[in-house]
Amino acid sequence: MKIHTYEKLWLGAAMVLIVALIATITYGAVGLGISMVDDEEETIDPDALDEDDRFNDPRVEHVGENEYEAYVVARTFMYQPDPIEVPANSEVTFYVTSTDVIHSFSVVGTNINTMVIPGEVSSMTAEFDEPGEYGVVCNEYCGSGHHTMEGQLHVVPEDEFDMTELEVEGDDEVAEDDEVTLNVSVENGMLDDLETTIEAEIGEETFEEDVTVEGDSTYETTITVDAADLGEGDHDWSVTVDDYEDSGTVTVVDDLEDDGGDDDE
Amino acid sequence: MTMSESGGTYIDNFPAEARVVRSALYSSFLALALGGLFGIIQTLHRTDIYRFIESDMYYTVLTAHGVFLVVTFTIFFLVGVFTWAVTTSLDRGVEDIRFTWLWYGLMTIGTVMAAAAILAGFTDSIDMSADVLFTFYAPLQAHWLFYLGLVVFVVGTWLAGADWFRSWWAWKQENPDERIPLPTFMVLTTMLMWYIATIGIAVSILVFLLPWSLGIIDSVNPTLTRTLFWFWGHPVVYFWLLPAYMMWYVMLPKISGGKLFSDPLARVVFILFLLLSTPVGIHHQYLDPGIAEGFKFIAMTNTMFLLLPSLLTAFTVVASMEHGARQRGGTGYFGWLKALPWRDPVFAGMALAGLMFAAGGFSGMINAGMNINYLVHNTLWVPGHFHLTVGTASALTFMAATYWLLPQLTGKALWNRSVALVQVVLWFLGMTFMSNSMHRAGLLGIPRRTAEPQYQGFEFEAGVGSVAELDFQLALGGALLAISIVLFLANVVGTAFNGRSDDLPANEFAETLSGPEDSPQVLDNLKLWTAIAVVLVILAYSFPLMSIVDRGGLYGPDISPFPVSIETLSLLAFTLEQYTTAAIATTGEFVQTTLTGVIR
Ligand code: HEM
Ligand SMILES: [Cu+2]
Ligand SMILES: [Cu+2]
Repeated sequence: MKIHTYEKLWLGAAMVLIVALIATITYGAVGLGISMVDDEEETIDPDALDEDDRFNDPRVEHVGENEYEAYVVARTFMYQPDPIEVPANSEVTFYVTSTDVIHSFSVVGTNINTMVIPGEVSSMTAEFDEPGEYGVVCNEYCGSGHHTMEGQLHVVPEDEFDMTELEVEGDDEVAEDDEVTLNVSVENGMLDDLETTIEAEIGEETFEEDVTVEGDSTYETTITVDAADLGEGDHDWSVTVDDYEDSGTVTVVDDLEDDGGDDDE
Repeated sequence: MTMSESGGTYIDNFPAEARVVRSALYSSFLALALGGLFGIIQTLHRTDIYRFIESDMYYTVLTAHGVFLVVTFTIFFLVGVFTWAVTTSLDRGVEDIRFTWLWYGLMTIGTVMAAAAILAGFTDSIDMSADVLFTFYAPLQAHWLFYLGLVVFVVGTWLAGADWFRSWWAWKQENPDERIPLPTFMVLTTMLMWYIATIGIAVSILVFLLPWSLGIIDSVNPTLTRTLFWFWGHPVVYFWLLPAYMMWYVMLPKISGGKLFSDPLARVVFILFLLLSTPVGIHHQYLDPGIAEGFKFIAMTNTMFLLLPSLLTAFTVVASMEHGARQRGGTGYFGWLKALPWRDPVFAGMALAGLMFAAGGFSGMINAGMNINYLVHNTLWVPGHFHLTVGTASALTFMAATYWLLPQLTGKALWNRSVALVQVVLWFLGMTFMSNSMHRAGLLGIPRRTAEPQYQGFEFEAGVGSVAELDFQLALGGALLAISIVLFLANVVGTAFNGRSDDLPANEFAETLSGPEDSPQVLDNLKLWTAIAVVLVILAYSFPLMSIVDRGGLYGPDISPFPVSIETLSLLAFTLEQYTTAAIATTGEFVQTTLTGVIR
């Protein structure tokens, strides 16, 4: 077959280009270890995510010193959790799945970008060195509200990050000869112990308790005050732990059982 | 090389065929008109410059834009120009014109069915819609009429291919010792590729999506139908491109005033497309979970080799143009460029299309990079890329070729050559703005396929310029393109209303500097190349498909005919490993042998 010299040169150059492209990408994948979304994760039943302990409660978990795992559910037309919060200087592995159609989970301005296919779990790991706020968009068409599907990823400064959750249960109405109780529970989702102070205020009364909440556990305590000390009427209460606060109002009444029961006496 | 002995126009020689080709082209242009209209609507909507539809209707518009342009416009043009190429280069009419009308009819009916399903989405009064975009990924579901329409359309194209094979076969009986004329060779190899490629979509629709939309089956495996889509979805881009390549090979050199540089190399190029177009589809699924990295890697490697035929085409086309220019008295290293017939809209359109295709090739290399793809996947970068390829390399070449073909098909002179020249230049300018802004917007992470890329919670940050500037460029480009389409259509209509002309050029295509006699006979062995192509497809797809079915079930997660067990998985991993090395080795070897074969 007759081939012009220039043509041979061009052919040679073309082959060099192709091989070079393949080599660069192979180096990126193998040498630099840039990993891709693949078939590593097991399949999942998209109709039964509520029975799956990773996705029934979409959340971020602390799993190692600076390591976190985020379990994210994409559905028409939202992400859960939203926002996703992680600290700076951390390594986060995202696990994302869908309950309905195909979506994407794309963190704008980064190469965190994956298809989210019902029945499959996409996993990818990213490092966040600096604090910042990122938008999350769905860039795979998923139906008429596709353009409204967005979320946020907040990378907060390390010293402002915690995974504390405060919950307080208090009575609405208490008899004057009884006690007002607040059941306080402080959950620490981090692996390290949480040293903090529970401060409470009920009417004029104040309380303070220094506590150590162990990693990945919940501390529970009860605060009581004699209703008589507060006196009849409405009393505001509040409980704070670091930046978290819960508050409510309790009403102290003359005699609880007594309502409409005067005849008994 | 056989050529029409009589030296007349196409309509003089083949009046019956001219009618079919004309009908095919007119159908194609109707789709272009509608597609262009939807194109400008969505451009103005996205950029929030002018919105007159609700945002949820944007996706009906986008589905129509995609389907009408890349299925209807391109493929109707293809069947028209291929019929012209086969009859012209074999110098014989089709065997049975009724059969030709049959496939044209099927394609038309299929289009009408699919279009009805899509357009019904605009009104609530008809309980039918197909807002699934041209990729129709399940679990998004269209009305069954949409899927059925696609089936009928594709069957039409299959029969069209059969028509051309039949012509070739009949010709071969009478010319047993002749080489297949180049245009026919190109048609046949392209159709062989198409037959292999359409297996994917045929299975996807007939076995899964159509029964599912009719309620016969309850669920589908979304990864499986998606993979089957891309089994077809990548080669289809060559189905759009190869008719343009054909025109660059057989028409452009002649218009430039010279001859095709090398017939053998043109054959090699089309064979490479037949072999490599299909086993690469997984490169559209780099970001899909549930597909092993090894499979993605194989697709990536094959994709890179697929650059070869395009690079070879670039060389041949430029070399042929240079030859033409020198025949016309051009001199110098680059000075010859000035001697080219830039005022001829046929030439200018094709040359500009080729230039833009080179730019599209660069952004395509980025897309193909497995890991770089993470940055651009599903951003506006991607439409930026393919408006250069199918939206210009194909579309502009088709329009330019029309300026040559239309007089041949009608016997009437082109209505206005200056308007035609303005039209192709406008396309070039419009596309420069539009695709530039799309590429840049994509790098900022602005997604494609979205009615309102303006989000509540955050903003896209432009490094250079601003998002408003990008929107403006996009709209400006879109507007120029829309005007360009109007001018094109005006010329088509104007020509149709012209009177018959007597001094039209004869229906001919380019001669070659180096003809088929310089190439080994084996290049014309279509059976051999088809067999290799099939083997490559089986190698590239059998394991991914098995693994996808294994994971997600044939009909979705609920019914799992292949229970996942440890043994199958580790066996699979092992075979995959074996196979990866083998595949890379064979591809390498294969390329080496073809290359040495070619160079010798
Ligand atoms: C007037 C000329 C045109 C304009 C203004 C235009 C504009 C656009 C725009 C803005 C998009 C992106 C929409 C989005 O992702 O939200 C788009 C998508 C697209 N365009 Fe065009 N376009 C034009 C011509 C063409 C031509 C000639 C072709 C092909 C032959 C084409 C093929 C496509 C395809 C396949 C898509 C993707 C559809 C999808 O994502 O489902 N366009 N066009
Ligand atoms: Cu979406
Ligand atoms: Cu592709």
